[in-house]
Amino acid sequence: MEPDAAEDADLLRAHGAGDPHAFGRLYDRYDRACFQFIRRLLGAAQADAAEDLHQETWIAVSRNAAGFDPAKASFAGWLFTIARRKVWDHFRRQKVAVLASAVHDEAAMSVADPDLSPLDAVQSRELAQEIVAAVEALPLEQRGAFVLFAHAGLSLAEIAEASGVTVETAKSRLRYARAKLRQALAGERPAHV
Amino acid sequence: MSDHDATPDPIDTAYAQAEGVLHDEAARAARRARVLAAAAREPAAPVDATPRRRPALGRYGGWLAAASVAGVSVLVATQVYSPARAPPRVAPPPAAPVSQPMVSPQPAAETAPTAARESPRATPIAPRATAQPRDRAAADVAQAQPAPSAPALLPTSPPQQPVAAPAPPPPALSAPTARAFAPAAAPPPPARASESTIQELVVVTGEKRAAVKAAAGSPADLAAKLRDAAAAGRTSDVKALLAKGAPVDAPDDDGETALMKGVKGDHPKAVALLRRYGASLETRNHAGQSARDMAVPLGDPDLDRALGLTARP
Repeated sequence: MEPDAAEDADLLRAHGAGDPHAFGRLYDRYDRACFQFIRRLLGAAQADAAEDLHQETWIAVSRNAAGFDPAKASFAGWLFTIARRKVWDHFRRQKVAVLASAVHDEAAMSVADPDLSPLDAVQSRELAQEIVAAVEALPLEQRGAFVLFAHAGLSLAEIAEASGVTVETAKSRLRYARAKLRQALAGERPAHV
Repeated sequence: MSDHDATPDPIDTAYAQAEGVLHDEAARAARRARVLAAAAREPAAPVDATPRRRPALGRYGGWLAAASVAGVSVLVATQVYSPARAPPRVAPPPAAPVSQPMVSPQPAAETAPTAARESPRATPIAPRATAQPRDRAAADVAQAQPAPSAPALLPTSPPQQPVAAPAPPPPALSAPTARAFAPAAAPPPPARASESTIQELVVVTGEKRAAVKAAAGSPADLAAKLRDAAAAGRTSDVKALLAKGAPVDAPDDDGETALMKGVKGDHPKAVALLRRYGASLETRNHAGQSARDMAVPLGDPDLDRALGLTARP
Protein backbone atom coordinates (compact mmCIF):
# COMPACT_ATOMS: atom_id res chain seq x y z
CA MET A 1 0.00 0.00 0.00
CA GLU A 2 1.43 3.36 -0.90
CA PRO A 3 0.64 5.32 2.28
CA ASP A 4 3.17 4.69 4.97
CA ALA A 5 1.96 2.05 7.41
CA ALA A 6 3.69 3.61 10.40
CA GLU A 7 2.04 6.94 9.63
CA ASP A 8 -1.32 5.24 9.40
CA ALA A 9 -0.86 3.80 12.88
CA ASP A 10 0.33 7.17 14.18
CA LEU A 11 -2.70 8.90 12.72
CA LEU A 12 -5.03 6.36 14.24
CA ARG A 13 -3.36 6.71 17.60
CA ALA A 14 -3.55 10.50 17.33
CA HIS A 15 -7.25 10.18 16.56
CA GLY A 16 -7.68 8.02 19.64
CA ALA A 17 -5.85 10.65 21.65
CA GLY A 18 -8.28 13.33 20.48
CA ASP A 19 -6.50 14.94 17.53
CA PRO A 20 -9.41 16.35 15.51
CA HIS A 21 -7.55 16.30 12.19
CA ALA A 22 -5.93 12.89 12.32
CA PHE A 23 -9.01 10.95 11.32
CA GLY A 24 -9.65 13.18 8.32
CA ARG A 25 -6.09 12.70 7.10
CA LEU A 26 -6.36 8.96 7.49
CA TYR A 27 -9.70 8.96 5.71
CA ASP A 28 -8.28 10.91 2.79
CA ARG A 29 -5.60 8.31 2.30
CA TYR A 30 -7.98 5.43 1.80
CA ASP A 31 -11.46 6.68 1.10
CA ARG A 32 -11.42 6.20 -2.66
CA ALA A 33 -9.98 2.73 -2.51
CA CYS A 34 -12.27 1.74 0.33
CA PHE A 35 -15.39 3.06 -1.34
CA GLN A 36 -14.61 1.45 -4.69
CA PHE A 37 -13.82 -1.84 -2.97
CA ILE A 38 -17.21 -1.82 -1.25
CA ARG A 39 -18.96 -0.60 -4.37
CA ARG A 40 -17.46 -3.31 -6.58
CA LEU A 41 -18.11 -6.07 -4.08
CA LEU A 42 -21.73 -5.01 -3.86
CA GLY A 43 -22.12 -4.98 -7.62
CA ALA A 44 -24.68 -3.00 -9.58
CA ALA A 45 -27.69 -4.62 -7.93
CA GLN A 46 -26.71 -3.55 -4.42
CA ALA A 47 -24.91 -0.33 -5.32
CA ASP A 48 -27.28 1.82 -3.27
CA ALA A 49 -25.87 0.35 -0.08
CA ALA A 50 -22.31 1.41 -0.86
CA GLU A 51 -22.55 4.83 0.77
CA ASP A 52 -23.98 3.43 3.99
CA LEU A 53 -21.52 0.57 4.23
CA HIS A 54 -18.63 2.90 3.52
CA GLN A 55 -19.77 5.16 6.33
CA GLU A 56 -20.29 2.23 8.69
CA THR A 57 -16.79 1.02 7.89
CA TRP A 58 -15.20 4.31 8.84
CA ILE A 59 -17.29 4.66 11.94
CA ALA A 60 -16.11 1.21 12.97
CA VAL A 61 -12.54 2.34 12.36
CA SER A 62 -13.07 5.39 14.53
CA ARG A 63 -14.79 3.48 17.28
CA ASN A 64 -12.23 0.70 17.42
CA ALA A 65 -9.13 2.82 16.96
CA ALA A 66 -7.80 1.76 20.35
CA GLY A 67 -8.09 -1.87 19.44
CA PHE A 68 -5.87 -1.61 16.39
CA ASP A 69 -2.49 -3.21 16.89
CA PRO A 70 0.04 -2.26 14.20
CA ALA A 71 2.22 -5.18 15.26
CA LYS A 72 -0.45 -7.62 14.16
CA ALA A 73 -1.75 -6.07 10.96
CA SER A 74 -1.32 -3.15 8.63
CA PHE A 75 -3.96 -0.47 8.76
CA ALA A 76 -4.89 -1.21 5.15
CA GLY A 77 -5.40 -4.87 5.95
CA TRP A 78 -7.49 -3.99 8.98
CA LEU A 79 -9.58 -1.42 7.12
CA PHE A 80 -10.40 -3.69 4.20
CA THR A 81 -11.16 -6.55 6.57
CA ILE A 82 -13.78 -4.35 8.21
CA ALA A 83 -15.09 -3.24 4.81
CA ARG A 84 -15.33 -6.80 3.54
CA ARG A 85 -17.21 -7.90 6.65
CA LYS A 86 -19.62 -5.01 6.29
CA VAL A 87 -20.40 -6.16 2.76
CA TRP A 88 -20.84 -9.78 3.82
CA ASP A 89 -23.08 -8.72 6.67
CA HIS A 90 -25.12 -6.69 4.22
CA PHE A 91 -25.47 -9.69 1.93
CA ARG A 92 -26.51 -11.80 4.88
CA ARG A 93 -29.10 -9.27 6.00
CA GLN A 94 -30.44 -8.96 2.49
CA LYS A 95 -30.25 -12.72 2.03
CA VAL A 96 -28.27 -12.20 -1.13
CA ALA A 97 -26.67 -15.34 -2.46
CA VAL A 98 -23.11 -14.32 -3.15
CA LEU A 99 -22.86 -16.42 -6.23
CA ALA A 100 -21.69 -14.31 -9.09
CA SER A 101 -20.87 -17.15 -11.43
CA ALA A 102 -20.33 -20.83 -11.65
CA VAL A 103 -17.24 -22.58 -10.46
CA HIS A 104 -14.13 -21.22 -12.14
CA ASP A 105 -13.40 -22.77 -15.45
CA GLU A 106 -9.96 -23.75 -16.49
CA ALA A 107 -10.65 -22.37 -19.96
CA ALA A 108 -10.34 -18.90 -18.58
CA MET A 109 -6.73 -19.53 -17.80
CA SER A 110 -5.91 -20.32 -21.38
CA VAL A 111 -6.87 -16.91 -22.64
CA ALA A 112 -4.18 -15.15 -24.22
CA ASP A 113 -1.22 -13.12 -23.83
CA PRO A 114 -1.79 -10.06 -21.70
CA ASP A 115 0.35 -8.02 -24.07
CA LEU A 116 -2.33 -8.38 -26.68
CA SER A 117 -4.90 -6.74 -24.46
CA PRO A 118 -6.63 -3.88 -26.24
CA LEU A 119 -7.18 -2.08 -22.99
CA ASP A 120 -4.09 0.05 -23.05
CA ALA A 121 -5.84 3.31 -22.69
CA VAL A 122 -9.25 3.57 -21.19
CA GLN A 123 -10.59 6.97 -21.88
CA SER A 124 -14.24 6.70 -22.79
CA ARG A 125 -16.88 6.40 -20.15
CA GLU A 126 -18.57 3.64 -22.10
CA LEU A 127 -15.51 1.45 -22.14
CA ALA A 128 -14.83 2.21 -18.49
CA GLN A 129 -18.31 1.06 -17.62
CA GLU A 130 -17.81 -2.14 -19.58
CA ILE A 131 -14.60 -2.87 -17.73
CA VAL A 132 -16.21 -2.18 -14.38
CA ALA A 133 -19.18 -4.37 -15.35
CA ALA A 134 -16.77 -7.17 -16.20
CA VAL A 135 -15.09 -6.76 -12.83
CA GLU A 136 -18.43 -6.85 -11.06
CA ALA A 137 -19.28 -10.08 -12.87
CA LEU A 138 -16.31 -11.85 -11.29
CA PRO A 139 -16.90 -14.27 -8.43
CA LEU A 140 -16.99 -12.28 -5.22
CA GLU A 141 -13.69 -13.30 -3.68
CA GLN A 142 -11.82 -12.99 -6.97
CA ARG A 143 -13.39 -9.60 -7.45
CA GLY A 144 -12.28 -8.49 -4.01
CA ALA A 145 -8.72 -9.65 -4.58
CA PHE A 146 -8.55 -7.97 -7.97
CA VAL A 147 -9.95 -4.61 -6.78
CA LEU A 148 -7.68 -4.56 -3.76
CA PHE A 149 -4.66 -5.25 -5.93
CA ALA A 150 -5.42 -3.23 -9.03
CA HIS A 151 -7.12 -0.22 -7.52
CA ALA A 152 -6.42 -0.08 -3.79
CA GLY A 153 -2.80 -1.06 -4.38
CA LEU A 154 -2.62 -3.60 -1.61
CA SER A 155 0.12 -6.20 -1.65
CA LEU A 156 -0.73 -9.87 -1.87
CA ALA A 157 0.09 -10.22 1.81
CA GLU A 158 -2.30 -7.42 2.68
CA ILE A 159 -5.00 -8.89 0.45
CA ALA A 160 -4.54 -12.23 2.16
CA GLU A 161 -4.79 -10.52 5.54
CA ALA A 162 -7.91 -8.59 4.60
CA SER A 163 -9.55 -11.68 3.12
CA GLY A 164 -8.55 -14.08 5.87
CA VAL A 165 -6.78 -16.44 3.49
CA THR A 166 -3.24 -17.44 2.67
CA VAL A 167 -1.06 -15.45 0.31
CA GLU A 168 -1.16 -18.35 -2.13
CA THR A 169 -4.92 -18.28 -2.16
CA ALA A 170 -4.95 -14.53 -2.69
CA LYS A 171 -2.50 -14.94 -5.54
CA SER A 172 -4.62 -17.67 -7.06
CA ARG A 173 -7.75 -15.53 -6.87
CA LEU A 174 -5.97 -12.64 -8.53
CA ARG A 175 -4.72 -14.88 -11.31
CA TYR A 176 -8.16 -16.28 -12.01
CA ALA A 177 -9.72 -12.83 -11.87
CA ARG A 178 -7.32 -11.48 -14.46
CA ALA A 179 -7.83 -14.45 -16.72
CA LYS A 180 -11.58 -14.08 -16.60
CA LEU A 181 -11.41 -10.37 -17.21
CA ARG A 182 -9.18 -10.94 -20.18
CA GLN A 183 -11.65 -13.42 -21.52
CA ALA A 184 -14.62 -11.15 -20.89
CA LEU A 185 -12.98 -8.14 -22.47
CA ALA A 186 -11.36 -9.95 -25.36
CA GLY A 187 -13.84 -8.47 -27.80
CA GLU A 188 -13.09 -4.90 -26.88
CA ARG A 189 -11.28 -2.80 -29.41
CA PRO A 190 -9.38 0.44 -29.12
CA ALA A 191 -11.87 1.76 -31.65
CA HIS A 192 -14.23 2.18 -28.72
CA VAL A 193 -11.88 4.62 -27.20
CA MET B 1 3.30 -2.40 -2.26
CA SER B 2 6.44 -3.92 -1.00
CA ASP B 3 5.70 -7.52 -1.74
CA HIS B 4 3.93 -7.40 -5.03
CA ASP B 5 5.24 -10.51 -6.63
CA ALA B 6 2.80 -10.38 -9.49
CA THR B 7 3.99 -8.26 -12.34
CA PRO B 8 1.77 -5.35 -13.33
CA ASP B 9 -0.88 -6.46 -15.72
CA PRO B 10 -2.54 -4.35 -18.41
CA ILE B 11 -5.88 -5.48 -17.05
CA ASP B 12 -5.03 -3.92 -13.70
CA THR B 13 -4.09 -0.68 -15.38
CA ALA B 14 -7.20 -0.70 -17.50
CA TYR B 15 -9.38 -1.18 -14.46
CA ALA B 16 -7.63 1.56 -12.51
CA GLN B 17 -8.10 3.89 -15.46
CA ALA B 18 -11.73 2.92 -15.73
CA GLU B 19 -12.28 3.79 -12.09
CA GLY B 20 -10.54 7.07 -12.74
CA VAL B 21 -12.84 7.87 -15.65
CA LEU B 22 -15.93 7.02 -13.61
CA HIS B 23 -14.75 8.86 -10.54
CA ASP B 24 -17.03 11.59 -9.27
CA GLU B 25 -15.12 14.13 -7.22
CA ALA B 26 -18.23 15.99 -6.10
CA ALA B 27 -19.77 12.82 -4.75
CA ARG B 28 -16.54 12.03 -3.01
CA ALA B 29 -16.47 15.42 -1.30
CA ALA B 30 -20.05 15.02 -0.16
CA ARG B 31 -19.28 11.54 1.11
CA ARG B 32 -16.26 12.80 2.99
CA ALA B 33 -18.29 15.46 4.78
CA ARG B 34 -20.95 12.94 5.68
CA VAL B 35 -18.56 10.30 6.97
CA LEU B 36 -16.44 12.67 9.01
CA ALA B 37 -19.53 14.23 10.55
CA ALA B 38 -20.89 10.81 11.43
CA ALA B 39 -17.56 9.73 12.90
CA ALA B 40 -17.44 12.91 14.97
CA ARG B 41 -20.91 12.21 16.32
CA GLU B 42 -19.85 8.78 17.44
CA PRO B 43 -18.25 8.42 20.87
CA ALA B 44 -14.58 9.16 20.55
CA ALA B 45 -12.27 6.20 20.48
CA PRO B 46 -10.78 5.55 23.90
CA VAL B 47 -7.41 7.17 24.41
CA ASP B 48 -5.00 4.32 24.59
CA ALA B 49 -1.43 4.88 23.61
CA THR B 50 -0.57 1.25 24.19
CA PRO B 51 -3.39 -0.83 22.83
CA ARG B 52 -1.41 -4.04 23.22
CA ARG B 53 -1.72 -3.78 26.98
CA ARG B 54 -5.36 -4.67 26.78
CA PRO B 55 -4.86 -8.39 26.30
CA ALA B 56 -2.20 -8.31 29.01
CA LEU B 57 -4.71 -6.84 31.42
CA GLY B 58 -7.10 -9.52 30.36
CA ARG B 59 -4.52 -12.14 31.16
CA TYR B 60 -3.87 -10.65 34.59
CA GLY B 61 -7.58 -10.52 35.18
CA GLY B 62 -7.75 -14.18 34.33
CA TRP B 63 -4.95 -14.98 36.73
CA LEU B 64 -6.58 -12.95 39.46
CA ALA B 65 -9.84 -14.77 38.93
CA ALA B 66 -8.05 -18.12 39.00
CA ALA B 67 -6.18 -17.14 42.17
CA SER B 68 -9.44 -16.06 43.78
CA VAL B 69 -11.09 -19.35 42.92
CA ALA B 70 -8.10 -21.24 44.24
CA GLY B 71 -8.17 -19.20 47.44
CA VAL B 72 -11.85 -19.85 47.99
CA SER B 73 -11.31 -23.54 47.31
CA VAL B 74 -8.54 -23.72 49.90
CA LEU B 75 -10.68 -21.85 52.38
CA VAL B 76 -13.60 -24.18 51.80
CA ALA B 77 -11.38 -27.22 52.09
CA THR B 78 -9.79 -26.05 55.32
CA GLN B 79 -13.10 -25.04 56.84
CA VAL B 80 -14.89 -28.24 55.96
CA TYR B 81 -12.22 -30.84 56.42
CA SER B 82 -10.05 -29.38 59.14
CA PRO B 83 -10.17 -31.54 62.31
CA ALA B 84 -9.14 -28.54 64.41
CA ARG B 85 -12.60 -27.10 64.24
CA ALA B 86 -13.79 -28.27 67.62
CA PRO B 87 -11.26 -26.64 69.97
CA PRO B 88 -12.42 -23.05 69.47
CA ARG B 89 -15.90 -24.09 70.58
CA VAL B 90 -14.62 -26.01 73.50
CA ALA B 91 -12.17 -23.41 74.59
CA PRO B 92 -14.47 -20.79 76.11
CA PRO B 93 -15.94 -22.91 78.93
CA PRO B 94 -12.80 -22.61 81.05
CA ALA B 95 -13.74 -18.98 81.35
CA ALA B 96 -15.83 -20.10 84.22
CA PRO B 97 -12.94 -20.90 86.50
CA VAL B 98 -11.50 -17.52 85.73
CA SER B 99 -14.58 -15.45 86.21
CA GLN B 100 -16.65 -17.68 88.47
CA PRO B 101 -14.66 -19.55 91.08
CA MET B 102 -17.72 -21.41 92.30
CA VAL B 103 -17.79 -23.62 89.18
CA SER B 104 -14.17 -24.53 89.41
CA PRO B 105 -14.79 -28.07 90.75
CA GLN B 106 -16.84 -28.92 87.71
CA PRO B 107 -15.08 -27.69 84.60
CA ALA B 108 -13.89 -31.03 83.34
CA ALA B 109 -17.17 -32.72 83.99
CA GLU B 110 -19.16 -29.98 82.35
CA THR B 111 -17.01 -29.26 79.36
CA ALA B 112 -16.57 -32.84 78.39
CA PRO B 113 -20.18 -33.44 77.45
CA THR B 114 -20.41 -29.97 76.01
CA ALA B 115 -17.49 -30.63 73.73
CA ALA B 116 -18.95 -33.96 72.79
CA ARG B 117 -22.25 -32.37 72.04
CA GLU B 118 -20.66 -29.81 69.77
CA SER B 119 -18.68 -32.25 67.76
CA PRO B 120 -20.74 -33.14 64.72
CA ARG B 121 -18.66 -36.26 64.13
CA ALA B 122 -19.18 -37.62 67.60
CA THR B 123 -22.88 -36.75 67.63
CA PRO B 124 -24.15 -36.18 64.14
CA ILE B 125 -27.71 -35.50 65.20
CA ALA B 126 -27.00 -33.65 68.40
CA PRO B 127 -26.34 -30.13 67.14
CA ARG B 128 -29.97 -29.27 66.44
CA ALA B 129 -31.11 -30.72 69.73
CA THR B 130 -28.52 -28.90 71.77
CA ALA B 131 -28.59 -25.64 69.96
CA GLN B 132 -31.64 -24.33 71.67
CA PRO B 133 -30.64 -24.70 75.28
CA ARG B 134 -27.21 -23.38 74.57
CA ASP B 135 -28.57 -20.45 72.58
CA ARG B 136 -31.02 -19.66 75.33
CA ALA B 137 -28.25 -19.66 77.84
CA ALA B 138 -26.30 -17.37 75.62
CA ALA B 139 -29.26 -15.06 75.29
CA ASP B 140 -29.80 -15.06 79.02
CA VAL B 141 -26.34 -13.87 79.80
CA ALA B 142 -25.40 -12.08 76.68
CA GLN B 143 -25.59 -8.72 78.39
CA ALA B 144 -24.51 -9.96 81.74
CA GLN B 145 -20.83 -10.43 81.15
CA PRO B 146 -18.39 -9.64 78.43
CA ALA B 147 -16.88 -12.59 76.62
CA PRO B 148 -13.44 -13.44 77.83
CA SER B 149 -10.67 -13.75 75.32
CA ALA B 150 -10.75 -17.26 73.97
CA PRO B 151 -7.13 -17.45 72.84
CA ALA B 152 -5.99 -16.58 76.32
CA LEU B 153 -7.97 -19.49 77.69
CA LEU B 154 -6.96 -22.06 75.17
CA PRO B 155 -3.66 -23.08 76.72
CA THR B 156 -5.28 -23.57 80.09
CA SER B 157 -8.17 -25.54 78.74
CA PRO B 158 -8.09 -28.95 80.38
CA PRO B 159 -11.13 -30.58 78.81
CA GLN B 160 -9.58 -31.05 75.39
CA GLN B 161 -9.06 -34.73 75.94
CA PRO B 162 -12.69 -35.80 76.44
CA VAL B 163 -13.72 -34.53 73.02
CA ALA B 164 -13.71 -38.03 71.64
CA ALA B 165 -15.90 -39.36 74.41
CA PRO B 166 -19.30 -40.71 73.44
CA ALA B 167 -21.95 -38.09 73.61
CA PRO B 168 -24.19 -38.38 76.62
CA PRO B 169 -27.60 -36.80 76.61
CA PRO B 170 -27.41 -33.10 77.29
CA PRO B 171 -27.43 -32.64 81.06
CA ALA B 172 -29.60 -30.10 82.66
CA LEU B 173 -27.25 -27.34 83.58
CA SER B 174 -27.61 -25.38 86.70
CA ALA B 175 -28.06 -21.67 86.28
CA PRO B 176 -24.55 -20.79 87.39
CA THR B 177 -23.12 -23.39 85.05
CA ALA B 178 -25.17 -22.08 82.20
CA ARG B 179 -24.00 -18.63 83.04
CA ALA B 180 -20.45 -19.83 83.06
CA PHE B 181 -20.86 -21.39 79.65
CA ALA B 182 -22.77 -18.55 78.17
CA PRO B 183 -19.90 -16.50 76.79
CA ALA B 184 -18.50 -19.58 75.15
CA ALA B 185 -21.83 -20.59 73.69
CA ALA B 186 -22.51 -17.30 71.95
CA PRO B 187 -20.27 -17.71 68.87
CA PRO B 188 -21.35 -21.18 67.64
CA PRO B 189 -24.60 -20.26 65.85
CA PRO B 190 -22.84 -18.20 63.18
CA ALA B 191 -20.22 -20.91 62.94
CA ARG B 192 -22.91 -23.45 62.30
CA ALA B 193 -24.58 -21.23 59.74
CA SER B 194 -21.34 -20.73 57.85
CA GLU B 195 -20.70 -24.44 58.05
CA SER B 196 -23.97 -25.20 56.30
CA THR B 197 -23.22 -22.49 53.75
CA ILE B 198 -19.85 -24.02 53.11
CA GLN B 199 -21.39 -27.43 52.75
CA GLU B 200 -23.85 -26.01 50.25
CA LEU B 201 -20.99 -24.38 48.40
CA VAL B 202 -19.14 -27.63 48.24
CA VAL B 203 -22.19 -29.39 46.91
CA VAL B 204 -22.88 -26.68 44.35
CA THR B 205 -19.26 -26.59 43.27
CA GLY B 206 -19.25 -30.34 42.88
CA GLU B 207 -22.41 -30.23 40.83
CA LYS B 208 -21.01 -27.53 38.61
CA ARG B 209 -17.81 -29.46 38.12
CA ALA B 210 -19.78 -32.53 37.16
CA ALA B 211 -21.90 -30.49 34.75
CA VAL B 212 -18.85 -28.95 33.12
CA LYS B 213 -17.22 -32.33 32.87
CA ALA B 214 -20.31 -33.78 31.29
CA ALA B 215 -20.67 -30.87 28.88
CA ALA B 216 -17.02 -31.14 27.82
CA GLY B 217 -17.71 -34.50 26.35
CA SER B 218 -21.24 -33.92 25.18
CA PRO B 219 -21.99 -34.18 21.48
CA ALA B 220 -23.01 -30.52 21.38
CA ASP B 221 -19.71 -29.47 22.89
CA LEU B 222 -17.74 -31.68 20.56
CA ALA B 223 -19.68 -30.27 17.61
CA ALA B 224 -18.95 -26.71 18.71
CA LYS B 225 -15.28 -27.53 19.05
CA LEU B 226 -15.32 -29.17 15.66
CA ARG B 227 -16.82 -26.07 14.06
CA ASP B 228 -14.24 -23.86 15.74
CA ALA B 229 -11.40 -26.11 14.64
CA ALA B 230 -12.71 -26.22 11.09
CA ALA B 231 -13.12 -22.44 10.97
CA ALA B 232 -9.55 -22.00 12.10
CA GLY B 233 -8.21 -24.73 9.83
CA ARG B 234 -6.79 -26.75 12.73
CA THR B 235 -6.71 -30.02 10.86
CA SER B 236 -5.28 -32.09 13.70
CA ASP B 237 -8.02 -30.90 16.05
CA VAL B 238 -10.64 -31.62 13.42
CA LYS B 239 -9.26 -35.12 13.05
CA ALA B 240 -9.15 -35.74 16.79
CA LEU B 241 -12.68 -34.47 17.31
CA LEU B 242 -14.04 -36.55 14.47
CA ALA B 243 -12.30 -39.58 15.93
CA LYS B 244 -13.97 -38.80 19.27
CA GLY B 245 -17.32 -38.99 17.54
CA ALA B 246 -18.14 -35.31 17.15
CA PRO B 247 -21.30 -35.01 15.05
CA VAL B 248 -20.01 -33.87 11.70
CA ASP B 249 -23.08 -32.01 10.43
CA ALA B 250 -24.26 -30.41 13.67
CA PRO B 251 -25.18 -26.78 12.92
CA ASP B 252 -24.62 -23.70 15.07
CA ASP B 253 -27.18 -20.98 15.77
CA ASP B 254 -26.87 -19.72 12.20
CA GLY B 255 -27.37 -23.19 10.84
CA GLU B 256 -23.74 -23.44 9.78
CA THR B 257 -21.92 -26.74 9.93
CA ALA B 258 -18.24 -27.45 10.42
CA LEU B 259 -17.91 -27.98 6.68
CA MET B 260 -19.35 -24.53 6.00
CA LYS B 261 -16.94 -23.02 8.51
CA GLY B 262 -14.04 -24.77 6.84
CA VAL B 263 -15.16 -23.58 3.43
CA LYS B 264 -15.64 -20.00 4.56
CA GLY B 265 -12.19 -20.02 6.09
CA ASP B 266 -10.84 -21.55 2.88
CA HIS B 267 -9.17 -24.49 4.59
CA PRO B 268 -9.02 -27.27 1.98
CA LYS B 269 -7.34 -29.81 4.28
CA ALA B 270 -9.92 -29.48 7.02
CA VAL B 271 -12.66 -29.56 4.41
CA ALA B 272 -11.28 -32.72 2.83
CA LEU B 273 -11.14 -34.36 6.24
CA LEU B 274 -14.71 -33.43 7.03
CA ARG B 275 -15.85 -34.73 3.67
CA ARG B 276 -14.13 -38.04 4.35
CA TYR B 277 -16.20 -38.29 7.51
CA GLY B 278 -19.35 -37.72 5.53
CA ALA B 279 -19.97 -34.01 5.98
CA SER B 280 -22.87 -32.94 3.81
CA LEU B 281 -22.40 -30.57 0.92
CA GLU B 282 -26.10 -29.94 0.65
CA THR B 283 -27.05 -28.97 4.20
CA ARG B 284 -28.13 -25.34 4.17
CA ASN B 285 -27.71 -22.61 6.77
CA HIS B 286 -30.47 -20.22 7.81
CA ALA B 287 -29.58 -17.96 4.89
CA GLY B 288 -30.23 -20.86 2.55
CA GLN B 289 -26.62 -21.44 1.56
CA SER B 290 -24.90 -24.78 1.43
CA ALA B 291 -21.19 -25.44 1.73
CA ARG B 292 -21.17 -25.92 -2.03
CA ASP B 293 -22.70 -22.46 -2.52
CA MET B 294 -20.15 -20.92 -0.20
CA ALA B 295 -17.26 -22.44 -2.09
CA VAL B 296 -18.22 -21.05 -5.46
CA PRO B 297 -17.39 -17.39 -4.90
CA LEU B 298 -14.10 -18.28 -3.26
CA GLY B 299 -12.79 -19.65 -6.52
CA ASP B 300 -10.11 -21.71 -4.83
CA PRO B 301 -9.32 -24.80 -6.90
CA ASP B 302 -7.83 -26.62 -3.91
CA LEU B 303 -11.00 -26.07 -1.96
CA ASP B 304 -13.12 -27.22 -4.87
CA ARG B 305 -11.05 -30.39 -5.12
CA ALA B 306 -11.38 -30.97 -1.38
CA LEU B 307 -15.12 -30.70 -1.73
CA GLY B 308 -15.13 -33.00 -4.72
CA LEU B 309 -16.53 -30.29 -6.99
CA THR B 310 -13.83 -30.73 -9.61
CA ALA B 311 -11.92 -33.73 -10.75
CA ARG B 312 -8.31 -33.96 -9.69
CA PRO B 313 -6.10 -33.23 -12.71
